Amino acid sequence: MTDMLSKTEEITKKAKTLGADQVIAKTTVGKYRQVRFSNNQVDITVAWNDYSTDVALAWKKRVVATTIHNFDGVDASIKQLIKLAKISQENPTFGGFAQGSFRYPKGKADRKLEELEKPTEYVFEAIEAAKKEAGGKIDSGGILFTKFEDVYLASSEGPAGVDSRSAIELSIRAFSEREASGHGVECCSTLKDFKPARAGAKAGKIAKLAKGPKVGDEGVYDVIFDPLIHGSLLGVWGGMVSAYSVLVQTSVFVDKLGKRVAPQTITLKDNPAAYSMSNRVFDDEGVPTEMNTFIDHGVLKTYLHNASTAKMFKTKTTGNAGLIYPTPWNIEMEAGEASKDELFANVKRGLYLTNTWYTRFQNSAKGDFSTIPRDGIFMIEKGEVGQSLKDLRLSDNVLTMLGNISAVSKERQHVHWWGEADPPSLAPYILIKNVHMTHSK
Amino acid sequence: MDEEVADFALECARGKKVEYAEVRAHSQVQDGLMLRNGVVEAYVSAVDSGFNVRIIAEGGIGFASTNKWTKEEARAVVNVAFKYAKSANRKEKLVFNEEKGVKTKWVVDQKKKIENVPPEERISTLAEVNKALAASKVKIPATMTSCSINLITKYIVNSEGSRISSYVPKIGAFIFITVAEQGKTEQAYEQFGYSGGWEAFSKWKMPEKMVHDAKVLKDVITKAKTVKPGNMDLVCGSEVAGIAAHESCGHPMEADRILGREMSQAGRSFIYKGGPYWLGTRIGSKAVTVVDDPTVEHSYGYYLYDDEGVKARRRFLYKEGLINEFLQNRESAAKLGVKSNGSSRSINYDREAIVRMANTFVLPGELTEEELIEDVKDGVYMKSFTEWNIDDKRFNQRYVGREAYQIENGELTDPVARPVIETTTLKFWTAVDAVSKKVEFDAATCGKGDPSQGVPVYTGGPCLRLRRVFVK
Repeated sequence: MTDMLSKTEEITKKAKTLGADQVIAKTTVGKYRQVRFSNNQVDITVAWNDYSTDVALAWKKRVVATTIHNFDGVDASIKQLIKLAKISQENPTFGGFAQGSFRYPKGKADRKLEELEKPTEYVFEAIEAAKKEAGGKIDSGGILFTKFEDVYLASSEGPAGVDSRSAIELSIRAFSEREASGHGVECCSTLKDFKPARAGAKAGKIAKLAKGPKVGDEGVYDVIFDPLIHGSLLGVWGGMVSAYSVLVQTSVFVDKLGKRVAPQTITLKDNPAAYSMSNRVFDDEGVPTEMNTFIDHGVLKTYLHNASTAKMFKTKTTGNAGLIYPTPWNIEMEAGEASKDELFANVKRGLYLTNTWYTRFQNSAKGDFSTIPRDGIFMIEKGEVGQSLKDLRLSDNVLTMLGNISAVSKERQHVHWWGEADPPSLAPYILIKNVHMTHSK
Repeated sequence: MDEEVADFALECARGKKVEYAEVRAHSQVQDGLMLRNGVVEAYVSAVDSGFNVRIIAEGGIGFASTNKWTKEEARAVVNVAFKYAKSANRKEKLVFNEEKGVKTKWVVDQKKKIENVPPEERISTLAEVNKALAASKVKIPATMTSCSINLITKYIVNSEGSRISSYVPKIGAFIFITVAEQGKTEQAYEQFGYSGGWEAFSKWKMPEKMVHDAKVLKDVITKAKTVKPGNMDLVCGSEVAGIAAHESCGHPMEADRILGREMSQAGRSFIYKGGPYWLGTRIGSKAVTVVDDPTVEHSYGYYLYDDEGVKARRRFLYKEGLINEFLQNRESAAKLGVKSNGSSRSINYDREAIVRMANTFVLPGELTEEELIEDVKDGVYMKSFTEWNIDDKRFNQRYVGREAYQIENGELTDPVARPVIETTTLKFWTAVDAVSKKVEFDAATCGKGDPSQGVPVYTGGPCLRLRRVFVK
């Protein structure tokens, strides 16, 4: 382990020797495994081993980066990078990489996730749980994914450290009929907390309820969002809090610092904590990660920063540096006081949405978008989940929806799904009033 | 790339009890340039190189990859792939359709070699867009510009005797602008793509195109009216025709989706055996023929052999309005009892090749664009789109116009703000009564697979005229 850190530090020193003003090198030794399944059978099992060092360096405010896959070629790669920096253009807004000397807590990665002995067994456990809920004829597909990374970081500005990061995720979609499906996910950082049957059971339960869907009516509804679809919304909102999104105006939060953007009951945080699939003890500049509250009781408190964007906004880095841009790690919505059942009980006539995909914007600065709910879509009448629906589209606005959140459950789930609910999040059920739904004509 | 290590890996795999083995080596020399408001934010340059081994054993598929080019590592990944294949424990055993081994090399020519274009020129070429925008007299508070260069070398060998080498330089650019007027904003992006050399930039005319977009957005804010919702004629520009061809023809015609292999992520298809739509079923008018063709020279989705070593050819997906031919790889083809039509693609050595589109477009008709429009009494011309999406069975779709105009008595009149068509695949393609004769292409990145694999494609077509569809 120390050998890899030494090699990473050598890259930093080499770049300094060759004239770089500032350098960060991050070596990742990663083992990634995946089982893909469909029609209740395993389609393919995949292993990726990756060894790479990301290097970002600055020379007279010119920022360049590379990825080195072979330590034998380090000298040539760094020389080439310096050469590139010298003919690149100055970025006047570059504020430098993070400085300081930090101590990091020991990562709590689970070594068992380096190599599972029988990964397909977790898949079959989830499939069986779905069958138990919805019957033997259920048709399931999805993925099991595991990650184990050893990360070594060295910066010319002081930070140096080692981290281990692990994650396991099972995503299962079960069909009880051609157009009746449910989706469940189970996301963890360690094997001991991983219960694939939970995901299977949820997928099966929703699929069973979803049988016999009718085309939904256009209109304005009070909508309960399941944690999985809520995770998709949180991913969008979290991405818009990145200072980079604000700078390029792909965010509804431009000029909203200190202003109310949601009801007083809403608090949103970014937190790459030990439980999260995005667990990490430092960011890509070596700054210790921490929990950052970005919407505090409805008021936008901060954007997510690296050292350079923090300088532009006259604040401190929030420990969200990616290699080039700041990025959210794991979005949390603070739990509410009502139970999930109480949320449903308070809806006289509304919808329950369980999942979505294809969220696309007309104008991401304004926040106008649509997204297509999939899997279970249900009418709620007098507090009860009833008729299954299909073919509806949610067409609304980010700020309007944030402002219309009227209840948050105390139950929360750690969710992540493909690129649709990404980055991972800790999501409660939420009730949003007056959501616009449309369909094809 | 070390072909000897790849050959060694194949020999290791053949030494085991396998039904099929394949090694795909994939090396990419990559350059990425990112500008914000015309200033270089970062310049990323890297070489990514590795190989994978894919094995069928006991009716299961195992896949393992590495970026370590050693024989020791090759043996290790073969062992993992073999172990994984056997662990599948499938009731329905997987096979690939039969193909003859192919030995060939193919390359894409460059008129102006990218390798000879210095970074300074790469930066200054991209910065031209911002100079033009600055001179346009439109208020543009933010732009985001990027350029990606990818010099791709592949080497594919398999247990059937195939040995295929290729070299493809791909170049892409993406520009996103925000226009502000009267306290309001509108946004647009354009993507450009090409297989070939630096001559791409002279073909794209990026500065002119982005200045046009900026002026259009300004008009949308300051002049455009909203459309009065109702049934009317709709003329779709090539950009809208292209996205519709891609989303509601190309995707639902992917055989792996039809067979359920993508059921959890990218979804299934409205086309399935025993359902209302299958080969030979009418899905559009006779005016509609949509093809997918990897062999369009210098296209963003260009290839001559796919990533399973199958020769590429044009596929007629919807032919004169009928569902005609699915996109197939060797796995799906075997399941459906047909031949692969060379639709298997992967973005890198560490991703499995799956069924993908290449360049999907509507074939042209006889009329000019003006002739299409002059026969419309009351309608909308949606030249380009902003928001779009489609459900995961690829049936319910929505396109929101970016540049759009009212059509009155055969003439384009006022600009229209964000007209929306939200309809089904059947209604969209059935409503087409005529198509124009000039095909234009747009570059796009098609997403599919888990982990997601964004592959370069073209979408395109002529203008389409749809009769009496609901526009709001």
